[in-house]
Amino acid sequence: MGLLSTSTHFVRYAVEGELPADFWNFAAEHIAHAAFRDIDDNYEERSVGWVSVDNMFDSAFAGASFAIADYLVLALRIDERKVAPSVLKKFCLKEEEKIKKEHEIPRLSRRQRVEIKENVRLALLKKSLPTAAVYDLCWNLAQGSLFFFSTNTKVHEVLESLFKETFGLHLVMQIPFLAATHLLNEMEQQQLADLRPDIFI
Amino acid sequence: MDLVDLITEKRFLGQEFLTWLWFKSEERGGAIALPHGDIQVVFEQHMLLEYGEGDAHQQVICQGQQSELKEAKTGLTTGKKLEQARIRLARDEHEWRLSLTGGLMEYRNVRPPKTMAAGEDSDEAAREGRILDRIGLLEIMVRTGDELFRLFLNIRLSTAWDAEKDRIRGWITGR
Repeated sequence: MGLLSTSTHFVRYAVEGELPADFWNFAAEHIAHAAFRDIDDNYEERSVGWVSVDNMFDSAFAGASFAIADYLVLALRIDERKVAPSVLKKFCLKEEEKIKKEHEIPRLSRRQRVEIKENVRLALLKKSLPTAAVYDLCWNLAQGSLFFFSTNTKVHEVLESLFKETFGLHLVMQIPFLAATHLLNEMEQQQLADLRPDIFI
Repeated sequence: MDLVDLITEKRFLGQEFLTWLWFKSEERGGAIALPHGDIQVVFEQHMLLEYGEGDAHQQVICQGQQSELKEAKTGLTTGKKLEQARIRLARDEHEWRLSLTGGLMEYRNVRPPKTMAAGEDSDEAAREGRILDRIGLLEIMVRTGDELFRLFLNIRLSTAWDAEKDRIRGWITGR
Protein backbone atom coordinates (compact mmCIF):
# COMPACT_ATOMS: atom_id res chain seq x y z
CA MET A 1 0.00 0.00 0.00
CA GLY A 2 2.00 2.93 -1.27
CA LEU A 3 1.75 6.31 -2.90
CA LEU A 4 0.05 4.97 -6.03
CA SER A 5 -2.10 2.26 -4.42
CA THR A 6 -5.88 2.42 -4.57
CA SER A 7 -5.97 2.37 -0.77
CA THR A 8 -3.04 3.56 1.31
CA HIS A 9 -1.79 4.44 4.80
CA PHE A 10 0.55 7.28 5.62
CA VAL A 11 1.91 9.58 8.32
CA ARG A 12 3.25 13.10 8.02
CA TYR A 13 6.71 14.30 8.91
CA ALA A 14 8.29 17.76 9.07
CA VAL A 15 11.81 17.89 7.61
CA GLU A 16 14.00 19.96 9.91
CA GLY A 17 17.18 21.66 8.75
CA GLU A 18 18.40 23.68 5.77
CA LEU A 19 18.54 22.09 2.33
CA PRO A 20 22.12 21.99 1.03
CA ALA A 21 23.04 24.30 -1.85
CA ASP A 22 22.74 22.63 -5.29
CA PHE A 23 20.27 20.27 -3.70
CA TRP A 24 19.46 17.98 -6.63
CA ASN A 25 23.12 17.12 -7.27
CA PHE A 26 23.64 16.63 -3.53
CA ALA A 27 20.57 14.36 -3.44
CA ALA A 28 21.68 12.30 -6.48
CA GLU A 29 25.08 11.68 -4.94
CA HIS A 30 23.80 10.80 -1.47
CA ILE A 31 20.87 8.68 -2.65
CA ALA A 32 23.28 6.66 -4.83
CA HIS A 33 25.47 6.15 -1.76
CA ALA A 34 22.50 4.89 0.30
CA ALA A 35 20.80 3.01 -2.56
CA PHE A 36 19.50 -0.47 -1.82
CA ARG A 37 21.99 -3.32 -2.23
CA ASP A 38 20.72 -6.79 -2.96
CA ILE A 39 21.48 -9.65 -0.54
CA ASP A 40 19.94 -12.48 -2.58
CA ASP A 41 23.37 -13.82 -3.52
CA ASN A 42 25.15 -13.50 -0.19
CA TYR A 43 24.39 -14.43 3.42
CA GLU A 44 23.78 -10.99 4.89
CA GLU A 45 20.89 -10.87 7.30
CA ARG A 46 19.48 -7.46 6.39
CA SER A 47 19.76 -4.71 3.81
CA VAL A 48 18.17 -1.26 3.91
CA GLY A 49 18.29 1.36 1.16
CA TRP A 50 16.51 3.50 -1.40
CA VAL A 51 14.79 2.25 -4.56
CA SER A 52 12.57 3.83 -7.18
CA VAL A 53 8.96 4.38 -6.11
CA ASP A 54 7.56 2.41 -9.04
CA ASN A 55 10.16 -0.35 -9.31
CA MET A 56 11.70 -2.04 -6.27
CA PHE A 57 14.47 -3.49 -8.48
CA ASP A 58 15.59 -0.05 -9.67
CA SER A 59 18.24 1.41 -7.37
CA ALA A 60 20.10 3.22 -10.18
CA PHE A 61 17.53 6.04 -10.61
CA ALA A 62 18.32 6.68 -14.27
CA GLY A 63 17.58 10.29 -15.20
CA ALA A 64 17.16 11.19 -11.51
CA SER A 65 13.76 9.51 -11.52
CA PHE A 66 13.30 10.51 -7.86
CA ALA A 67 13.04 14.21 -8.86
CA ILE A 68 9.47 15.05 -9.81
CA ALA A 69 8.75 18.78 -10.02
CA ASP A 70 9.32 20.17 -6.53
CA TYR A 71 9.08 16.74 -4.87
CA LEU A 72 11.58 14.05 -4.05
CA VAL A 73 9.85 10.69 -4.43
CA LEU A 74 11.56 7.53 -3.24
CA ALA A 75 10.90 4.16 -1.67
CA LEU A 76 12.59 2.62 1.35
CA ARG A 77 13.33 -1.06 0.78
CA ILE A 78 14.09 -3.44 3.63
CA ASP A 79 15.16 -7.00 2.83
CA GLU A 80 15.52 -9.39 5.73
CA ARG A 81 16.31 -13.03 6.29
CA LYS A 82 14.20 -14.41 9.10
CA VAL A 83 13.99 -17.69 10.96
CA ALA A 84 10.65 -18.59 12.51
CA PRO A 85 10.99 -18.97 16.32
CA SER A 86 9.42 -22.45 16.21
CA VAL A 87 11.93 -23.59 13.56
CA LEU A 88 14.84 -22.16 15.55
CA LYS A 89 13.61 -23.90 18.71
CA LYS A 90 13.29 -27.26 16.96
CA PHE A 91 16.79 -27.18 15.44
CA CYS A 92 18.35 -25.92 18.70
CA LEU A 93 16.81 -28.84 20.62
CA LYS A 94 17.98 -31.24 17.92
CA GLU A 95 21.54 -29.90 18.12
CA GLU A 96 21.52 -29.96 21.94
CA GLU A 97 20.43 -33.60 21.93
CA LYS A 98 23.12 -34.48 19.44
CA ILE A 99 25.88 -32.86 21.54
CA LYS A 100 24.64 -34.45 24.78
CA LYS A 101 24.70 -37.86 23.14
CA GLU A 102 28.15 -37.32 21.60
CA HIS A 103 29.69 -36.19 24.87
CA GLU A 104 27.60 -38.49 27.06
CA ILE A 105 26.52 -35.64 29.35
CA PRO A 106 23.06 -35.25 30.94
CA ARG A 107 22.73 -31.50 30.41
CA LEU A 108 24.38 -28.48 28.82
CA SER A 109 25.47 -25.26 30.48
CA ARG A 110 23.68 -22.00 29.74
CA ARG A 111 26.74 -20.77 27.86
CA GLN A 112 26.73 -23.87 25.63
CA ARG A 113 23.03 -23.48 24.88
CA VAL A 114 23.46 -19.79 23.97
CA GLU A 115 26.34 -20.73 21.67
CA ILE A 116 24.33 -23.49 20.03
CA LYS A 117 21.40 -21.14 19.52
CA GLU A 118 23.53 -18.54 17.76
CA ASN A 119 25.26 -21.13 15.54
CA VAL A 120 21.95 -22.74 14.60
CA ARG A 121 20.39 -19.34 13.90
CA LEU A 122 23.24 -18.39 11.55
CA ALA A 123 23.07 -21.75 9.77
CA LEU A 124 19.31 -21.42 9.28
CA LEU A 125 19.62 -17.80 8.13
CA LYS A 126 21.98 -18.91 5.37
CA LYS A 127 19.32 -21.31 4.14
CA SER A 128 16.48 -18.78 4.22
CA LEU A 129 15.62 -16.41 1.39
CA PRO A 130 15.30 -12.69 2.16
CA THR A 131 11.84 -11.17 2.20
CA ALA A 132 11.40 -7.68 0.78
CA ALA A 133 9.24 -4.81 2.02
CA VAL A 134 8.93 -1.45 0.29
CA TYR A 135 7.57 1.81 1.72
CA ASP A 136 7.12 4.93 -0.41
CA LEU A 137 7.78 8.51 0.58
CA CYS A 138 7.22 11.87 -1.05
CA TRP A 139 9.01 14.94 0.19
CA ASN A 140 7.61 18.39 -0.59
CA LEU A 141 10.83 20.37 -0.75
CA ALA A 142 9.15 23.80 -0.78
CA GLN A 143 7.12 23.11 2.35
CA GLY A 144 9.60 20.87 4.18
CA SER A 145 6.92 18.22 4.68
CA LEU A 146 7.01 14.54 3.89
CA PHE A 147 4.42 11.77 3.57
CA PHE A 148 5.65 8.30 4.51
CA PHE A 149 3.46 5.41 3.48
CA SER A 150 3.55 3.16 6.53
CA THR A 151 2.08 3.40 10.01
CA ASN A 152 4.50 0.84 11.50
CA THR A 153 6.61 2.48 14.23
CA LYS A 154 9.56 0.10 13.70
CA VAL A 155 9.67 1.06 10.04
CA HIS A 156 9.46 4.73 11.04
CA GLU A 157 12.66 4.28 13.05
CA VAL A 158 14.42 2.77 10.03
CA LEU A 159 13.24 5.65 7.83
CA GLU A 160 14.30 8.35 10.30
CA SER A 161 17.75 6.83 10.61
CA LEU A 162 18.36 6.31 6.85
CA PHE A 163 16.96 9.76 6.02
CA LYS A 164 19.36 11.40 8.50
CA GLU A 165 22.24 9.33 7.15
CA THR A 166 21.40 10.22 3.53
CA PHE A 167 20.39 13.88 3.69
CA GLY A 168 21.75 15.03 7.07
CA LEU A 169 18.26 16.29 8.00
CA HIS A 170 15.93 15.32 10.86
CA LEU A 171 12.42 13.97 10.39
CA VAL A 172 9.87 14.84 13.08
CA MET A 173 6.56 13.01 12.98
CA GLN A 174 3.64 15.41 12.98
CA ILE A 175 1.51 14.18 15.85
CA PRO A 176 -1.49 16.48 16.50
CA PHE A 177 0.32 18.65 19.05
CA LEU A 178 3.25 19.34 16.69
CA ALA A 179 0.98 19.77 13.66
CA ALA A 180 -0.97 22.32 15.72
CA THR A 181 2.12 24.37 16.51
CA HIS A 182 2.65 24.91 12.77
CA LEU A 183 -0.88 26.31 12.51
CA LEU A 184 -0.75 28.69 15.49
CA ASN A 185 0.95 31.99 16.33
CA GLU A 186 3.36 32.32 19.25
CA MET A 187 0.73 33.31 21.83
CA GLU A 188 -1.59 30.48 20.77
CA GLN A 189 1.31 28.02 20.94
CA GLN A 190 1.79 28.94 24.61
CA GLN A 191 -1.94 28.44 25.24
CA LEU A 192 -1.69 25.06 23.51
CA ALA A 193 1.26 24.03 25.67
CA ASP A 194 -0.80 24.79 28.78
CA LEU A 195 -3.91 22.99 27.54
CA ARG A 196 -5.23 20.09 29.62
CA PRO A 197 -7.66 17.34 28.57
CA ASP A 198 -11.34 18.20 28.79
CA ILE A 199 -14.29 15.93 29.36
CA PHE A 200 -17.53 15.84 27.40
CA ILE A 201 -19.73 14.23 30.06
CA MET B 1 9.83 17.09 26.24
CA ASP B 2 10.76 14.27 23.86
CA LEU B 3 8.40 12.86 21.24
CA VAL B 4 7.39 9.78 23.25
CA ASP B 5 6.34 11.94 26.23
CA LEU B 6 4.57 14.40 23.93
CA ILE B 7 2.61 11.56 22.31
CA THR B 8 1.47 10.33 25.72
CA GLU B 9 0.79 13.68 27.35
CA LYS B 10 -0.87 15.38 24.37
CA ARG B 11 -2.74 12.34 23.03
CA PHE B 12 -6.02 13.96 24.08
CA LEU B 13 -5.68 16.79 21.54
CA GLY B 14 -6.27 14.65 18.44
CA GLN B 15 -8.97 12.62 20.20
CA GLU B 16 -10.85 15.77 21.22
CA PHE B 17 -10.49 17.02 17.63
CA LEU B 18 -12.05 13.82 16.26
CA THR B 19 -14.96 14.07 18.71
CA TRP B 20 -15.50 17.74 17.88
CA LEU B 21 -15.32 16.95 14.14
CA TRP B 22 -17.97 14.24 14.50
CA PHE B 23 -20.22 16.73 16.35
CA LYS B 24 -19.51 19.46 13.78
CA SER B 25 -20.29 17.13 10.87
CA GLU B 26 -23.69 16.25 12.34
CA GLU B 27 -24.54 19.82 13.31
CA ARG B 28 -25.37 20.80 9.70
CA GLY B 29 -26.00 17.42 8.10
CA GLY B 30 -22.38 16.88 7.06
CA ALA B 31 -21.61 20.41 5.86
CA ILE B 32 -18.81 22.33 7.56
CA ALA B 33 -17.99 25.92 6.62
CA LEU B 34 -14.37 26.66 5.79
CA PRO B 35 -13.10 30.09 4.66
CA HIS B 36 -13.35 29.15 0.95
CA GLY B 37 -16.81 27.56 1.30
CA ASP B 38 -18.59 24.47 2.58
CA ILE B 39 -17.09 20.99 2.54
CA GLN B 40 -18.75 17.68 3.41
CA VAL B 41 -17.54 15.54 6.32
CA VAL B 42 -19.48 12.38 7.05
CA PHE B 43 -18.56 9.90 9.78
CA GLU B 44 -19.08 6.40 8.43
CA GLN B 45 -19.73 3.02 9.93
CA HIS B 46 -16.53 2.27 11.79
CA MET B 47 -15.17 3.86 14.96
CA LEU B 48 -12.58 2.89 17.52
CA LEU B 49 -12.91 4.12 21.09
CA GLU B 50 -10.39 3.63 23.85
CA TYR B 51 -10.32 3.93 27.60
CA GLY B 52 -7.94 3.36 30.48
CA GLU B 53 -4.19 3.79 30.48
CA GLY B 54 -1.16 1.50 30.70
CA ASP B 55 -2.09 -2.11 31.52
CA ALA B 56 -5.77 -1.14 31.83
CA HIS B 57 -5.84 0.31 28.29
CA GLN B 58 -8.64 -1.18 26.17
CA GLN B 59 -10.18 -0.48 22.79
CA VAL B 60 -13.74 -0.96 21.57
CA ILE B 61 -14.81 -1.08 17.91
CA CYS B 62 -18.24 0.29 17.01
CA GLN B 63 -19.45 -0.47 13.52
CA GLY B 64 -22.68 -0.77 11.62
CA GLN B 65 -25.32 1.57 10.26
CA GLN B 66 -25.70 5.18 11.42
CA SER B 67 -28.10 4.16 14.17
CA GLU B 68 -25.50 1.81 15.60
CA LEU B 69 -23.06 4.67 15.99
CA LYS B 70 -25.25 5.54 18.98
CA GLU B 71 -23.18 2.91 20.75
CA ALA B 72 -20.12 5.05 20.11
CA LYS B 73 -21.88 8.13 21.49
CA THR B 74 -22.87 6.15 24.56
CA GLY B 75 -19.20 5.27 24.91
CA LEU B 76 -18.36 8.97 25.00
CA THR B 77 -20.76 9.47 27.91
CA THR B 78 -18.85 6.86 29.88
CA GLY B 79 -15.53 8.60 29.36
CA LYS B 80 -14.23 6.62 26.38
CA LYS B 81 -12.15 8.59 23.86
CA LEU B 82 -12.64 8.52 20.10
CA GLU B 83 -9.34 7.19 18.74
CA GLN B 84 -10.14 6.37 15.12
CA ALA B 85 -12.96 7.21 12.75
CA ARG B 86 -13.85 6.35 9.17
CA ILE B 87 -14.63 9.56 7.33
CA ARG B 88 -15.99 10.53 3.92
CA LEU B 89 -14.62 13.92 2.92
CA ALA B 90 -15.87 15.86 -0.08
CA ARG B 91 -14.39 19.13 -1.31
CA ASP B 92 -15.18 20.78 -4.65
CA GLU B 93 -15.56 17.92 -7.14
CA HIS B 94 -13.39 15.45 -5.20
CA GLU B 95 -14.24 12.83 -2.58
CA TRP B 96 -11.90 10.89 -0.29
CA ARG B 97 -12.53 8.08 2.16
CA LEU B 98 -10.10 7.73 5.02
CA SER B 99 -9.64 6.58 8.59
CA LEU B 100 -8.05 9.21 10.82
CA THR B 101 -6.46 8.33 14.15
CA GLY B 102 -6.61 10.75 17.07
CA GLY B 103 -3.45 9.98 19.03
CA LEU B 104 -0.94 10.16 16.17
CA MET B 105 -3.01 11.70 13.36
CA GLU B 106 -2.27 8.80 11.01
CA TYR B 107 -4.12 8.57 7.71
CA ARG B 108 -5.21 4.97 7.20
CA ASN B 109 -7.05 3.18 4.40
CA VAL B 110 -7.08 6.37 2.36
CA ARG B 111 -9.00 6.08 -0.91
CA PRO B 112 -8.38 9.19 -2.97
CA PRO B 113 -10.67 10.17 -5.85
CA LYS B 114 -10.12 8.37 -9.16
CA THR B 115 -8.70 10.71 -11.75
CA MET B 116 -8.03 10.85 -15.48
CA ALA B 117 -4.31 10.36 -14.88
CA ALA B 118 -4.71 6.81 -13.55
CA GLY B 119 -3.87 5.21 -16.92
CA GLU B 120 -1.37 2.55 -17.98
CA ASP B 121 0.94 4.79 -20.01
CA SER B 122 4.55 4.00 -19.28
CA ASP B 123 6.35 7.02 -20.72
CA GLU B 124 8.12 9.34 -18.31
CA ALA B 125 5.73 12.27 -18.66
CA ALA B 126 2.73 10.01 -17.94
CA ARG B 127 4.54 8.51 -14.93
CA GLU B 128 5.29 11.94 -13.50
CA GLY B 129 1.73 13.03 -14.22
CA ARG B 130 0.29 10.06 -12.30
CA ILE B 131 2.58 10.64 -9.33
CA LEU B 132 1.98 14.41 -9.19
CA ASP B 133 -1.74 13.89 -9.55
CA ARG B 134 -1.79 11.48 -6.60
CA ILE B 135 0.42 13.71 -4.44
CA GLY B 136 -1.80 16.68 -5.25
CA LEU B 137 -4.94 14.84 -4.17
CA LEU B 138 -3.34 13.68 -0.92
CA GLU B 139 -2.09 17.20 -0.20
CA ILE B 140 -5.56 18.69 -0.73
CA MET B 141 -6.97 16.10 1.70
CA VAL B 142 -4.31 16.85 4.32
CA ARG B 143 -4.68 20.61 3.84
CA THR B 144 -8.42 20.26 4.36
CA GLY B 145 -7.71 18.27 7.52
CA ASP B 146 -5.41 21.07 8.69
CA GLU B 147 -8.09 23.69 8.02
CA LEU B 148 -10.56 21.69 10.10
CA PHE B 149 -7.96 21.23 12.82
CA ARG B 150 -7.28 25.00 12.80
CA LEU B 151 -11.03 25.62 13.13
CA PHE B 152 -11.10 23.31 16.16
CA LEU B 153 -8.01 24.96 17.71
CA ASN B 154 -9.53 28.44 17.25
CA ILE B 155 -12.49 27.38 19.40
CA ARG B 156 -10.57 25.10 21.77
CA LEU B 157 -8.12 27.88 22.72
CA SER B 158 -10.78 30.59 23.08
CA THR B 159 -13.45 31.47 25.61
CA ALA B 160 -16.01 30.11 23.11
CA TRP B 161 -14.93 26.59 24.09
CA ASP B 162 -17.21 26.35 27.15
CA ALA B 163 -20.30 27.06 25.06
CA GLU B 164 -19.11 24.67 22.32
CA LYS B 165 -18.51 21.99 24.96
CA ASP B 166 -22.09 22.42 26.23
CA ARG B 167 -23.38 21.93 22.68
CA ILE B 168 -21.22 18.79 22.30
CA ARG B 169 -22.58 17.44 25.61
CA GLY B 170 -26.13 18.09 24.42
CA TRP B 171 -25.39 16.31 21.14
CA ILE B 172 -23.87 13.29 22.90
CA THR B 173 -26.73 12.91 25.33
CA GLY B 174 -29.42 13.76 22.73
CA ARG B 175 -30.77 16.73 24.68
